[in-house]
This record gives sequence, structure tokens and C-alpha cells, in this order.
Amino acid sequence: MPRLTADLVLGLAALALALAALLFWVPADTGSGIVERIRGQYRIGDAMGPAVAFGILILAGIVLAIEAWLKPASGPGPSGLGSAQLGFLLLLFVIFMISLLAMRWTGPALASLLTEGGYRSLRASLPWKYLGYVTGGTILVGSLIALAERRISVRAFVIGFFAALLLAMFYDLPFRDFLLPPNGDL
Amino acid sequence: MDYILMGIGAVFGGPELFALGGIGIPAAPAMLFLGLLTGIAVGATPGLAGPMAMAVSLPILISIFGVRPDALLPVFGFLIGIMKGATVGGAVPAVLFNIPGTPDAFMTTLDGYPMTRRGMPKRALKIAHLSSVSGDTLSDIALFVCAPFLAVLVERFLDLPEKTALILLSLTFIAAVMGSSVGKGLIAIGLGMLAAMVATGQDFHPRLALGVDALSHGFPMVSAVLGILILGEIFWTLDDHWRGRVSRDATEATDAGPDGLRKGDVRRILPHILRSSLIGTVIGALPGVGSTLAATLGYTWGRRVHAKRKTPEQAAFGEGAPEGIAATEAANSAVSGANLIPVLSLGIPGNAAAVFLILAADSIGGFNPGPGVFTFSHPQINPELVVAFGIFTLMALGNLLNWTIGGVFMRAMGIMSRVPIRYLLPVVLLVTLTAIYVQDPRLGALWTAFGFGVLGYLFRCLRIPHLPFVIAFILAGSLENAARQAFSATGGDPFFLFSSWVSTAFMLMAIATVFLAGRAPGERRG
Amino acid sequence: MIRAIPTCAAALLAGACFTLPAFAQSAGWTPPGPITLMIGFAAGGGADTQARLVAQGIEDATGWTVLPQQVTGNSGLTLAQQLRDAPADGSVIGMIVSETLAYNAVRVGNPDLQASNFTPLATTAAFQLGLVAMANGDFASWEAVEAAHEAGRPIRLGTATERQADMAYHLGLGSGIEFNIVQVQGGSEIMNGLRAGDLDLGWVAGAQASAVAGGEMVNVASGIPTPLAESPDAPTIRELGSNFYLDGYFMFVAPAGIPDEAREALSGAIASVVQNPQTEAGALIARNFGGASVLTGEALDAYLQAAVEDSVRLIDTVR
Repeated sequence: MPRLTADLVLGLAALALALAALLFWVPADTGSGIVERIRGQYRIGDAMGPAVAFGILILAGIVLAIEAWLKPASGPGPSGLGSAQLGFLLLLFVIFMISLLAMRWTGPALASLLTEGGYRSLRASLPWKYLGYVTGGTILVGSLIALAERRISVRAFVIGFFAALLLAMFYDLPFRDFLLPPNGDL
Repeated sequence: MDYILMGIGAVFGGPELFALGGIGIPAAPAMLFLGLLTGIAVGATPGLAGPMAMAVSLPILISIFGVRPDALLPVFGFLIGIMKGATVGGAVPAVLFNIPGTPDAFMTTLDGYPMTRRGMPKRALKIAHLSSVSGDTLSDIALFVCAPFLAVLVERFLDLPEKTALILLSLTFIAAVMGSSVGKGLIAIGLGMLAAMVATGQDFHPRLALGVDALSHGFPMVSAVLGILILGEIFWTLDDHWRGRVSRDATEATDAGPDGLRKGDVRRILPHILRSSLIGTVIGALPGVGSTLAATLGYTWGRRVHAKRKTPEQAAFGEGAPEGIAATEAANSAVSGANLIPVLSLGIPGNAAAVFLILAADSIGGFNPGPGVFTFSHPQINPELVVAFGIFTLMALGNLLNWTIGGVFMRAMGIMSRVPIRYLLPVVLLVTLTAIYVQDPRLGALWTAFGFGVLGYLFRCLRIPHLPFVIAFILAGSLENAARQAFSATGGDPFFLFSSWVSTAFMLMAIATVFLAGRAPGERRG
Repeated sequence: MIRAIPTCAAALLAGACFTLPAFAQSAGWTPPGPITLMIGFAAGGGADTQARLVAQGIEDATGWTVLPQQVTGNSGLTLAQQLRDAPADGSVIGMIVSETLAYNAVRVGNPDLQASNFTPLATTAAFQLGLVAMANGDFASWEAVEAAHEAGRPIRLGTATERQADMAYHLGLGSGIEFNIVQVQGGSEIMNGLRAGDLDLGWVAGAQASAVAGGEMVNVASGIPTPLAESPDAPTIRELGSNFYLDGYFMFVAPAGIPDEAREALSGAIASVVQNPQTEAGALIARNFGGASVLTGEALDAYLQAAVEDSVRLIDTVR
């Protein structure tokens, strides 16, 4: 009896999910069928592409399950997904979210405290247009370095600050059409 | 046929002089030089690719030079410079940090990075430079010779159903040859196509968007591709550091004798350069089939040959073989020149870089890439032909610059290898995110990139190859369009893929590829 | 059906006669901070370049700051959706084609996207729309197209938008020729398809000008009421059996409800830039479209209204 390897699970999961999507998701969320009749002719509809893609996934699931079934030991080294990986992803997500929130709201928050006009009218002027980007960039780079080093250091955030500042100047000074985050969202 | 040969003969006698006259304007070579330096820097920076830099600089160039016909060559000069520079520069982060600076350089990481880990970054870079510039030069020569008639033949050969079949063939081929199992390759292909399908339909209803507003714009190619390739790799490496598995750090390289090119290196890699240049040139001449496929083919083919011929003490492909770098870099660089064959002779771009050359020509005017360019009119001079030869001259000059100063500038980028990777990667992440935002100024685009980065990380955890995902993502649109057009053009023939013997042959080859790869699982490993 | 045509003609006439007062900040309106210009076209393309050069021209002429950014997708409707939700104070404008707010908005039916939610500012250039074929091919004139149809040959007609596809079908019904309608990504792709022999005919909205002037391609028929600059003698599609033209403009729009003086100032700024061939934008338009076609104010409102009505009828006719 073959073991229930990660690959076997992956293959069966791909098969089941793709089958479900093909039967329920694709018909519900496409604007035209696999083939539609329009303007007196048949043409390929919007459901054809997704149907082919899910068809490939179904095929992939079957092939993978067979491969894993026939030779369960041939997987190259440890593979798979455990709580360690998910924990790491969660950390990444938190860091990313805090950085983007800082990027988005630092400028507007300060502007609403210090000025009357608000951030929108200031978003193309110094130093406002760098505020969010440099703050968010510093947090992002600093905390990722801290993550890699497993300790929080001032040095990491200093590197982040200068990297963000230099990048802001690199993009902003020579090219007047470029918008730094978050100035395109406002 | 005689007329064509006579025409080619007449070309090499006559209009070149005009081209040299055209190049006499100092603006063009100067812009070429600047473009080349920009291109190398851009190529060496992960997250920036040649086409992106070209997209950004085109409006700037047009505002500098205006829209007069004499602006053509300086603008082309800069764009060609970026194109050539980025091709070379893309190898730098691939070799030093295991991060492809451009998507094409992915296969370069497979041998370039192991060489760096064994303490030979300079040797790897020199080999990459040599192979890249050789491939580019050989390909340009093919362009100069073949442009007038080769692409005409290729294009005449392929109607819409054949084009559809050809894309299908390339996808199945990729699924079959890449990664550790056909099943996982197919998963990557299927998911890549699926991602490309979101909100890209013909109907006004954004398909597969789940009614979510953020998804109804689809996934921009930049965010998706950079997310999978670059963010995924950064997350994976950071995870290694976080766990203390720091064996991949560039700083603890083992000493393998003096760094730099070694005696016999050139002779060792020369066959690989020649073979890959040929592959790249042939692929490049096919419209729509890009350099990523060329690099893949060059590498796989090179690996097979190398495995047979190598002496036991030489490294195998994937373990730091100079031949691997040569096979990849020559192939992907050889695409760029040959890609201009269909562009110049038919006006059909084969890759993103070529698209921007066409756009430049289109915006400035006075040059209309298409069959008209190669009209050899007597006694009246065809000004477009003069521009075409001006472009050839610029390309030759670009190669010359690349041979001489390109290598120096490229290795100057190697200074970055002294920066500890745990400091560098987060900064690279920020550069990538900024580059994405500059192209697509929405914070949502950054979240998209993050999402694809997570997907790339999961792919690496589950050992699903991520390159087929990227290729499928890029090709899915062309495949769907080609299929739709072929279906409509044949008046709704459900068997359009088997309507001619050429497309039938492509389809049979596609099926055979999967079947054979499934039968011989051992050969794909490694 | 007939009524709409005079409306369009009147709009065109009014636009042509519309002369602007010398524009020098006279409107007395200044934008509240920088202006965001959403561009509904792919980066680096001809239309994108036009938009960015107009932005540059406005900055040079007025001293305002204009920040261009790409908002592409869904044939301009993505931009319309975002623009509708943007502040209506003149600080956010967009560049699209008139077809977006006419045919596309009608076709998709979403009330948020209808023309009444927007303030049209100014058109810049009119489509030079022709039904294009290779000059040395088998479809180089309408007679040749008819002959090929008589001979039982399937004819592939390339279209870049849903409206063009509807019009191809409509023209086919009117002229008795059934086309195999092949939908592709844009005008330049249609021209590539013609060159490669993948397509026999195709709608192109101006990009064909130099190919036609150079003798490589021909305008088999004209899709617009005014004569095509390169092929003044081409029959119009109305003469060949269609009830509608396939005309349109590149245009700037703002959200509905912006202050009148803001509309006036923005329209005036755009118009003076594109009508002046000394500016980069003006030179580009002069070369690609044979000159600017500027409609502003009520003339533009009238044109857009007529275009919406035409679209409703076209969709009714075809479905």
C-alpha cells in the first residue's frame, strides 16, 4: 500500500479543486459560454480559456497522483508545506501590511494634522511626496532585515531609510512623470 | 529568386553609405552609448527589465528629440542600447545572487550562482558577457543577411491555425521538459494560464473575478511575473536565513583557485555558444516565440550534449558549469537581433523590446516597419531603407561597445556581491515594488505582486517549477487570441487545428512531446 | 435613424467653427493642486504619447502640474469607473475615445458608466477610419471584395472593438456579404494581420495613413462622414449598405458636475495645445490625423449624445 505522500495529496487536491471549479465556478463567472453564436457566426467564448486551463489542471492532478502512487519514494528530498512555512508567510504578511499602511497613510495623516488643504494638493511637492514612501520603505526593509537576522537592529532600519530615500530620488528627480507610492492612489 | 539575390547584392554595395552618413549625426551614437549603460544597469537590477526601461524612456526621448524624422536614429539608438545592455546586464544578479535580473536570465542562475558559491563570480560573469555578446553579434549578422526574405517565408508558411498549434506545442514542450515531474509541470502551466484568464475575456463581464473589484482589472503582467520570479525567490531565501539554513550565502564561498577566465574556457564554451546562438536566432525569427523559450531550449540541449561529452572533473549542468551559462546567455541574447527580422520586414514584433521599437517608429513617423522598408528602389532612394541600415549600423556599433566597455561596466556591478545578501534582498524587494508601482501606480498592484510572491514561495516549497507558470501566463493571451482568430477566420471550423498538414504536424508533435516525456521520466531530472 | 446624421454634422460644423479666445489664464480658474491625468491606452502607444504630450503642453502653457498615469482595461471602462468616483473639482481628468462612453457604455449597460456621469472636455483628433486591405492583394477595392464573395471565397475581416465587429456584421447584412469576423487587439495588429495574409480586410482608425500614402495598403471604404485625407474617393460605408458611420474621437473627460469655469479652463487649455502645430502634441496630431479636430462645450455634448443614440440603434439592429 503506497504511503499518502505530499505529492499524492497535491495531485488529488488539484484534481478535486479543478473539477469543482470547472463545474461550478467557470459557468457562473464568465460572460459567454465555451462557444457562442453572435453576429450570425460561432466564436470562441470567454469560458473556453478557463475550461482549457482547468482541464490541464485536472490532467496534471491525475498524472501527479499516478506518479506519486507508482513511485512514492522518488520525491527529491524533503518537500511540502508545514506550520513552519505558514508561520513565515504570516510574518511576511504582517510586515507587508504594516509597511503598505504606513506608505499609504503617513502623508495624509501628517497633512491633516499640520495643514488645512490636506495631502491631495501637496502630493506633488517636497517633502510631502516622499513621506509615505520613505516611511513605508524604511519599515519594510528594516523589518525584513530584522527577520533574516532574527534580531531587531537600528542598523537595519538605517539601511532601509537610506535605500528608500535614494530610490525616491532616483525615480523622482530625473523623471517627472513617475509617481512614487502612494501618490498614484490619491 | 534571382531578383532577391540581386537585391541583396545591391544592398551591400549601395545604401550602406547613406546609413554611415545618417550615423554621422553625433546624437545617435551618443544616445546608443547612454542607452547601453542604462541598459546594463537596468538589466543588472532585478525588477527592472529592458522593455520596462524602454517604455519609460520612450516618452522622455520623444519630448527631447521631437517628432521629426531625424529624431529616429537617436531614439532608436537609445532603445537599442537599452535592449543590448539589458541582455548583458541581466546575467549579473543571476550569477551573483541567484535572482534573474530579467526573466530571460532565469536559466543563467542555474549554473552562474553555483559558480559564485564556489568562489568564481568573476569567471562566471566573464563567461556570461562573452557568450551574451557573441550570441548577440551572431544573431545581428543573421538579421543583416536574412531580414529581407527569411521572415517573409516564415510568415507565409504560418496561417492563424498553424500559429495556434505552434503556441500549444511550445507549452506542452515546456511542461514536459521542466521540473521534476510532468504532473507538476502541468500544474504550473495550468495555474499560469488560469491567472492570465482572470478578467481578460472578450465579454464586458470580467470573467473569474469573483465579483471582486480588485480582481476585475486582471493581473498585470509586470506584477505577476516579477512577483513569482523575484519576490518568490526573495521570500524563499529570507526564509532560509530566518531558519538559520544560511548555506546559500554568497559570502561563504569555497576557494577554487584564482578567479577570472581560465585557459581553455573559450574553447570549452565555444560549441555551446555557437549552438545556442543558432537556436536563439531561429527562435527569435519566429514572431511571438520569445527569448525565454530560446534560453530553455539552449540550456536543455546544451545539457544533453554536455552530459555525454564532459570529463569527470568538469561540473555538470546545474552545478556550476561554465557551459551552462554559455548555452543560456548565448541563446537568450541571440534572440534580440533575430527578433528584428519579422519586425523590420513585416512589422510584427516577436517580443516586448521589439514592440517598443515599433512604437517609437510609429510615434515619430517617417519609418514604417513593414515590407515597404526593403523596397530597393532605383534610382530614387528609399529613405526607409536608409533608416533600416542606420539601425543595422547602430546595432553593430552597439555590439562593438558591448565587447569593449560592456564587460567592464558589467563587472563593476559585481561590487554588489560584497553586500551581505540579507541586507540586499529587502532593498531589492523595495526596488522591485517601486518599479512595479511606477508602471502601474496602484497600491493594489503591490498586493498583487505580493500575492504572486507568496505563490512563488509555495511553488518552491512544493517543488513545482515556477518558470512554466510564467511562460504559460505570458503565452496564454496569445494562445487564446490565436485560437479565437483561427476559429473565426475559418468560419467556425471546430477542427481548425487540423485544417492543414502543418498545424496537424505541430499538434502531433505536441502530443508526442508529453507522451515521450511521460515515458522517459529519468531524463528530465537534474 | 436619419435624424442623427444632421446632429452629427452640426456638431462637426460647430466644432470646426469654434474659435477659442486667446488663452492666457483668462478663465480665472486654477486647479486645486496637481491634476491627475488618467490615460486609457497602453503605455508607449500612439494614443498614450499623444496624452502625455498634451499634458506637457498644458504644463508649459499654464504652469499647472499634470501627473499622467495609466488606467487601462476593459476598452476604457476601467478608467470610466475610476474617473466617476474621483473628485469633481477639475483635479482628475481622463483621456479615452468617444466610443468608450457611447457604444461600450451602452453595451455594458452599467448605469455608473453612462455618458451622463461625465463632463466631456475636448476632443483632440477624429478617427480616420477606413476599411483597409493590401494594395496588391485580392481585396483592394470594394468591387474586388464583391467579386471574391461571388466566387464563394470566405472573407476575413479584422476588428479591434465590439463596435467594429457589430459594424462589420451590420455592413455585411446591408451589402449581402457575410464576413468571417476576426477580433484582434488593435489597429496595428490588424495591419500586421493584413501584411501577413492572416486577414483580408480590417477596420483601422488612422494608423493606416502612411501605409496608404506609401501605396502599401488601400482604404477600400471610408467609415467616416468626411473624406479620408489619404483616400478622398473611397466610397463611404453608408453608400455600401450601412446605416451608420464608424466615427469617433480621442477625447478628454472629467467627472460629472465639475465647476463650469473649470470645464472652460481645462477645455481651453487642451484645445489650444492640440490646435497649435508648434507644440509637440499639435505636431503629432497634425502628422497622424491630418490636423486636430476639436469639439468643446455644447457642440461636444451634442456629438456625444448623438453617438450614444447611434450606438443604441446599432445594438438594436445587430441583436
